[in-house]
Amino acid sequence: MSKNFFFHFRPRHIPAGALCFTLTWGLGGMAALMLTQQLLTGLLLNIFYQPLPVLAYQSVEHIQTTIFLGRLVRNMHHWIGHALIIVVFLHLLRVFFSGAIYPPRRTNWFVGLGLAFLVLLANFSGYLLPWDQLSYWAVTIATSMLSYLPLIGIPLQEMLRGGEEVGAATLQLFYFFHTGIVPASLFLLLLYHFWFIRKAGGVYLPHKKTNPEAVKGKFVPVVPNLLVRELAFAAIVTSLLLLFSMFVDAPLGAMANPHLTPERVKAPWYFLGAQELLLHVHPLVAVFFLPLGIGSFLILLPFIKAKEEQPQRWLRAVFVIGIVLLLILTIIGIWFRGPGMRLMWPW
Amino acid sequence: MAMVEKISSSRRSFLARIWVGLGIIALLQLFTGAVAYFMSGRKQVEKNTPELLRAGVISDFPPGSVTSIVKGHLYLNCLDDGGFLAISRKCTHLGCSVPWVVESEQFECPCHASHFDVTGDVLKSPASRALDLYPVSFEKGVVLINISTPIKRTGFVREQLVYAQKSG
Ligand code: FES
Repeated sequence: MSKNFFFHFRPRHIPAGALCFTLTWGLGGMAALMLTQQLLTGLLLNIFYQPLPVLAYQSVEHIQTTIFLGRLVRNMHHWIGHALIIVVFLHLLRVFFSGAIYPPRRTNWFVGLGLAFLVLLANFSGYLLPWDQLSYWAVTIATSMLSYLPLIGIPLQEMLRGGEEVGAATLQLFYFFHTGIVPASLFLLLLYHFWFIRKAGGVYLPHKKTNPEAVKGKFVPVVPNLLVRELAFAAIVTSLLLLFSMFVDAPLGAMANPHLTPERVKAPWYFLGAQELLLHVHPLVAVFFLPLGIGSFLILLPFIKAKEEQPQRWLRAVFVIGIVLLLILTIIGIWFRGPGMRLMWPW
Repeated sequence: MAMVEKISSSRRSFLARIWVGLGIIALLQLFTGAVAYFMSGRKQVEKNTPELLRAGVISDFPPGSVTSIVKGHLYLNCLDDGGFLAISRKCTHLGCSVPWVVESEQFECPCHASHFDVTGDVLKSPASRALDLYPVSFEKGVVLINISTPIKRTGFVREQLVYAQKSG
């Protein structure tokens, strides 16, 4: 029975060509692995965490200082959360460039976009939970960006905050998102994502039509060929994450103080591109047209005619230019903005 | 025979459509129910009931002074000509708390370096609006600030100043 369930997600045999690492760079698997790690470390943190102002901060301190391995667990949850965004982003790039976005995989591209959105939401809602100065003001800045939306901006902002300012109601809501609805939908959608790959015939092999040899070649059993590789890869990734979390502590500033904004406070780093843009263009562009544009571009991608199962040249060029711009803005926002938003060198 | 089949298949698809429709209605109901459940728990304090903050006696705020009133999250400024302004600390750019810097005599936001002058007017972007105001009034020599509703404004005009002598 359990075996049958397993084979809903994995075939018994796959083409030998599908074992090639550079086909996927293991990114999707890595994301799934890290999501599972987030679930586990999150459950552990949740035992002691208390979602109320002041208590929240104290409970995080408690986890860090008195709980056995508490600091390590929090570090892992923190760093994996950030790393996930990068891995998901790279996974999205890989899927696009290998051309796995056209039917029959188009639906799965949408599922993937939904997952990416949920990962962002999970990270952002978790940002507030430590209730330190950094998280309080980062969330204040990020939710303030909403107020630039016409008409719905302010009501939306107040709904999210549960009032005019970030406070107890905000924490309650973010906690609910972070530990309830977001992980639940994430894992349901993730099952669907995996099942869909199986349904579409396994990992995408490029140039099926132009190069049938890749598919026709010999088939190998999944157990052990694929399984062993996956387990080894998972072990490597896990130990790297563990090592990193052992030596680099997750930041925890002073307790949140709504009356005092500290120097050098910034929105979460993945919003810094938008925030940087906010300094140069009309706010409406940065908080409304830009996300809308990126979102619809990603959704419409698989409808644009492919050439030999690959995205066309110009489309890839547009994609690359967009990413480079986004990266430049984000990097400036993260490292080249000193206190008071002055441009400066990061060293 | 063919006729019968056609009828029954169209009847079947009609029924199927009803089922789908009912399903959608049920989902919508569930959704609105959930939203109402959520919103009812987040009722906000009635906004229009004035909440008056007693800042202190008028003589506490001499002309040319800028006083931080922590409770109301604001600054009470008395300009050189004796006009009062209660200025919100909340930066109009992205909501950081703006401190008054004595040396430079201006409000300087720590987040993205917007600067505002003593009247709350923008001296330096990215903020595009002047800092919000709170209505100031006087009663028996005491300065009262209505902190329930911040007043949005684009810039400073003299009419925003409130004088103690006039209203008693
Ligand atoms: S929040 Fe004050 S300048 Fe951005």
